[in-house]
Amino acid sequence: MSWLGVDVGGTFTDLVFLDREGGRLQVLKTPSTPSDQSEGILVGIGRLSLEAKSLERIVHGTTVATNTALEADGARLAVLATEGHRDVLVVGRGNRMAIYNIKARPNRPLVPRSRCVEVRERLGVDGAVAIPLDEENVAAVGRHLAEENVEAVAVCFLHSYANGDHERRAAEILSRFLPKAVITTSSEVLPEYREYERFSTTALNAYVAPRMRRYLGELRNRLGSAGISASLSIMTSNGGTLPAERVEAMPVLSMLSGPAAGVIAASFVGHAANFPDIVTCDMGGTSTDVCLVRGGEFSMTTDGKVAAFPVKIRQIDINTVGAGGGSIAAVSGGFLTVGPRSAKAYPGPACFGRGGTEPTVTDANVALGRLGTDQLLGGEIRLDHAAATAAVARLGHELGLSTERMAEGILRIAVVSMAGAIKEVSVLRGIDPRDFALLSYGGAGPLQAAAIADELGMRTVVVPPMPGNFSAFGLLVADVRRDFVRTRVATVDTLSPADVQAMLAELIEVGEAELEAAGFPPDRRRFAASLDMRYSGQSFELSVPVESDLADMAKLVNGFETVYRTRYGGTTTAPIEIVSYRVAAWGLSDKPALPSVDTAGHTMEAAQRGQRSIVFDGTSHPTPILDRERMPINAAAFGPVVIEEAGSSTIVPPSWSVERDRIGCLVLRRREESNQ
Amino acid sequence: MSIDPITLEVLTQGLISIVREMRATVCRTASSVAIYDAKDFSCGLFAPDSQVVAQSEDIGSHVVPLPWSVRSAMEKFGNDLAPGDVILSNDPYTGGTHLNDVTVIFPVFEGGRLIFFPAVRAHWADVGGMVPGSMSGKATEIYQEGVRIPPVKIQEAGRFNQAALDILLSNMRVPEERLGDLEASLASCRVAQKRIHEICARYGVDTLLEAVRLDLDRSEARMRACIAGLPDGVYRFEDYLETYMGGRFEPLLMPLALTVAGDRMIADFTGASPQVPFPVNSTAAVTAASVFIAVKSIFDPAAPLNQGSFRPIEVIAPPASIVNVQRPAPAGSHGEIRKRVIATMVGALSQVVPDLVAGDLCRTSFHNLIGGYDAKRGREWVHYEWSAGGNGAFRESDGPSAMATIDWGDLVTVQSTEVIETRMPLVVETSRLAVDSGGAGTTRGGLSMQRSMRVLAADSRYSLLSDGAVVPAFGVMGGLSGVQVGSWVESDGAIESFDTPGKVAGHPVGDGGIVVVRSAGGGGYGDPLLRDPAEVAEDVREGYVSRQAAHDLYGVALDTRSAVDPVATETLRRRLREARFALPTVLVEESYERGAVSKRRICRLHPRDAAAAHLQADDLVEIDSRRAAPLRAWLRIDPTIALGTLPIDHAGLEILRASAGERLEVRRIATVVMPQARLAEAAE
Repeated sequence: MSWLGVDVGGTFTDLVFLDREGGRLQVLKTPSTPSDQSEGILVGIGRLSLEAKSLERIVHGTTVATNTALEADGARLAVLATEGHRDVLVVGRGNRMAIYNIKARPNRPLVPRSRCVEVRERLGVDGAVAIPLDEENVAAVGRHLAEENVEAVAVCFLHSYANGDHERRAAEILSRFLPKAVITTSSEVLPEYREYERFSTTALNAYVAPRMRRYLGELRNRLGSAGISASLSIMTSNGGTLPAERVEAMPVLSMLSGPAAGVIAASFVGHAANFPDIVTCDMGGTSTDVCLVRGGEFSMTTDGKVAAFPVKIRQIDINTVGAGGGSIAAVSGGFLTVGPRSAKAYPGPACFGRGGTEPTVTDANVALGRLGTDQLLGGEIRLDHAAATAAVARLGHELGLSTERMAEGILRIAVVSMAGAIKEVSVLRGIDPRDFALLSYGGAGPLQAAAIADELGMRTVVVPPMPGNFSAFGLLVADVRRDFVRTRVATVDTLSPADVQAMLAELIEVGEAELEAAGFPPDRRRFAASLDMRYSGQSFELSVPVESDLADMAKLVNGFETVYRTRYGGTTTAPIEIVSYRVAAWGLSDKPALPSVDTAGHTMEAAQRGQRSIVFDGTSHPTPILDRERMPINAAAFGPVVIEEAGSSTIVPPSWSVERDRIGCLVLRRREESNQ
Repeated sequence: MSIDPITLEVLTQGLISIVREMRATVCRTASSVAIYDAKDFSCGLFAPDSQVVAQSEDIGSHVVPLPWSVRSAMEKFGNDLAPGDVILSNDPYTGGTHLNDVTVIFPVFEGGRLIFFPAVRAHWADVGGMVPGSMSGKATEIYQEGVRIPPVKIQEAGRFNQAALDILLSNMRVPEERLGDLEASLASCRVAQKRIHEICARYGVDTLLEAVRLDLDRSEARMRACIAGLPDGVYRFEDYLETYMGGRFEPLLMPLALTVAGDRMIADFTGASPQVPFPVNSTAAVTAASVFIAVKSIFDPAAPLNQGSFRPIEVIAPPASIVNVQRPAPAGSHGEIRKRVIATMVGALSQVVPDLVAGDLCRTSFHNLIGGYDAKRGREWVHYEWSAGGNGAFRESDGPSAMATIDWGDLVTVQSTEVIETRMPLVVETSRLAVDSGGAGTTRGGLSMQRSMRVLAADSRYSLLSDGAVVPAFGVMGGLSGVQVGSWVESDGAIESFDTPGKVAGHPVGDGGIVVVRSAGGGGYGDPLLRDPAEVAEDVREGYVSRQAAHDLYGVALDTRSAVDPVATETLRRRLREARFALPTVLVEESYERGAVSKRRICRLHPRDAAAAHLQADDLVEIDSRRAAPLRAWLRIDPTIALGTLPIDHAGLEILRASAGERLEVRRIATVVMPQARLAEAAE
């Protein structure tokens, strides 16, 4: 039997194939096919040596949902709103996106105001019906929307988190008039209060759903034609996987599909390599994603956004900065910037030789000799050293800097902005990144990892096996996961432990049903409950873990105060409120073991491929080039060293050492004499 | 000392990153909800000569005036500062904004040399005074608005000045929370101090200071280049704040003479109304900062903000006027002066760089309060409502609807209905953009927000402290005004409107009564008769503009399917253009009329002209050349004026970029939009 992980990115499609009997891992990169991602996937599968019949599971990381939203290329959408409240999505929260700019443009909602239609109905705070749903009104709207040829409808009523009946009934009625449209209700997508955020999440879901449905249909067809009948799951933003049919109905759950897989892989490898506290750093072509993992647990957030639209579903707390390998360095108005403008895949950096002329981070790496030109990038692209150097030199000339200084400067600025992204998830939350190891992946990540660590005073960098296909590997180690939420606001002193238990039990029941349906026996199900709590009068909540069989409210209050104190220093005497109840449900899947490293006959000497002259801090160093696969384990080499492998290169600067550990990770350590 | 461009960028980002960390620290440690929740605070790094060196996503209304407080502190303590000293201040008269904004200024030394002041300005929930929360629309002296703190050393050599602290906290409500707020600001500054020392250790203090110098210089160079591109000259504009002196409406004049000379600019507010015993006045720091916010937002939105941008600009604010308040007049409501200063800058610059400006922004901070005692829940309640209005249109685009203005950072202004209803005895019955509220134009002003809130508690009260209820946001280049702010109470089908629009104190609202509030609309840009008819049709389809307004203001005839009828539209537009009422101007000595404290511009017309233009005495009118922003005046009917003439003074002609004898359009601005009319429309 075998498993396959497929992660589709903007430039490359990464595949990781695991032959479970032989314990063999095979990795592969192939160009992505943006118009229909499934085409590239099948090309990749064709190049793997796999037997269609033996493939039992495919886990897929996809950018279809995200790209549909970012490119504003989704469905012809309508919103059904409570009477008096059609403008929730049009107006948002009335905040300004461009500070100090008198020409800030209006936000473009996903749906024009004319297709935000009010119907007569109203619920109160507790879900009680204040005005019954006017069903004829809904039917009339249904007829109108059918004439308008809408492809998707988001049903968004006030207080539906407390009572979804009106939304469900309205959806039923609409579906009679719009049999082909995707109809989504806000109480199903996110039964959590604050209407703008809930409606935005729901509208995004409806907006991307038709395209997601088409895409997954196409993928299934292609897999079927190739004789593959394996189960298909999709990676979701919370770091779990879900059956494709589930994600088809709730594509908004997959907005962070690819990045989430990387974090799962990082936490898996961090655990195996004895680094439970890590900062992940996934450097791609146009951006870098970072995430904090403590004791193997990654932090979660409900403050996600896609473009300008809030997505309030619970997702891994990944921070993104617009600096990656393809980020362009340029001078404008006296300021030198690197990114967020990117050369993208086409034309790509100057060194790709496809017509790009502006210098990028990758060009700077090539110009400095850090990235060799004798390997094909991603197995496809031959790098042009002369073109990279010329592009960097042009900018250097403009600024009066030598080519080498310019190239190092481009890297320096990129590193500072990536370090800034890590500061936001650590220092700004009162966490010292020096207590963490930096786990770096993405094809370009290990080139910059030591420099980023230096910038933050971090002493250890871990480069996992297959850094260029790492997210795809994460797909193979993820569990099934769903997050459930329900808002019911009340102060703690009005509730008994039984009330809390009952609310959580309701959510767990839904989780049990979903895991049952996905084929997990009870002993492979796991649940964790938490409550969103705050002091009365505050407008945001803290997440407090809670036992689902909570016996004592005082324990809950203590738990809240502990979390509050950690985050804000002190506590106050205001009444404490529970706002929302959350349950995370896991279906535990088998995990592959990392193959042990075959080290027979490996020595540093045997690993040395050659030597290049590389500039560090203005000085050229003769630098040995090592072949990662031939390195011995538990033996140190001292920087400067470059370690090459298919799909990535790791830079070990002069003040760092490196060794390969027993599971094949490269562990870089800063040498103590170079103090920060 | 030279510094390479790479190190310069790294240090620039490093300083901004310090301010971000300061912000995060305040959020993590403050006690006032307004600080950690509503983010009503700002941080910055300042140089000893009081310049802003770095800031992050901070609120312009806090951070841009902060250098005045730093300067006052330096004047007072100068060489008497030592490591471990910390300065506290909230005094509007010495560089502050209003008393609730309490500032900690923290000297940082390196090698015995004072190099930076990290500073935090945070809105404390209470600083004493006549009402809880300290801000009152009824204050006639600053003493009623709370404790004034001139710059004092609240810490010396790292120890609290206990006497000062005790006196302060004894005069504020919930003192333990106030101490928490103070500790939060101190913690934030200490973090900054640590990071500054780290940068000095890594790069050297001289390199750091050189980077700061270059940063300021290049911002200055960018701004000077912008100003140098403008034609030299004096550009005037005038606008008003609204008061009711003894119950009688009186507009307070704010005139601006903006001089462009080479690469410098002087904003002179000489002639501004004397200060008044109401919370309308503000400080010289707020006035100057508002000029800076306008200049930055119009000319150089892209670069990081620091003082360099403001070096080429001088601001003159006459003492004891509404733009430079002196003891003992109140200074509680600084937001209104700020918005009006920005408006005068927009008006004056519309004469010079029409491509860069927008129609006037939503005019006011619009503070609505509904509250009382909720017998059902057994507690006091107050709902604070500050929905933003429409922003002005500009050449490239319609103005954004219901969005915070440029002086408000990224403050959230539209609160969640579900949250309001969970917390307050209120039902938000409607929350919609108000149709036709955006000023008509070739590009349209943003729409205002209109919310109806049903009160579910007996004996509640409604208060409003606002401006822009009479004089609306102006359009530019022939664009029309947005709608004024409005509010009224509906109970049992009857509508109660207010004699003093914009200023309402504790109006009773019964159980089941509905409070309706409508923020201001943004000004339009360019002649509405030149708007693409297809866009007008789309606005009608989207519900931003009514069919009636499409017809009357835009001259667009729509068929029964709401498609544009091109032939009828052309005819209609010609007819509307011809029907515009214009008169040849005649130069007169002065066009102002004195009131109890200030003066206002008037437009005198012969009775027959007034009748022809459908104008009545006391109407607010606009005189427009369509070359810039229009001129506002109140109509006086005067038989001594020659028939068929429009008397206007020299300043008026300058504002309109017009010459004597030229024909100028006169049109009425509806001063109060009657709620009855709106209701009729809603019923329809």
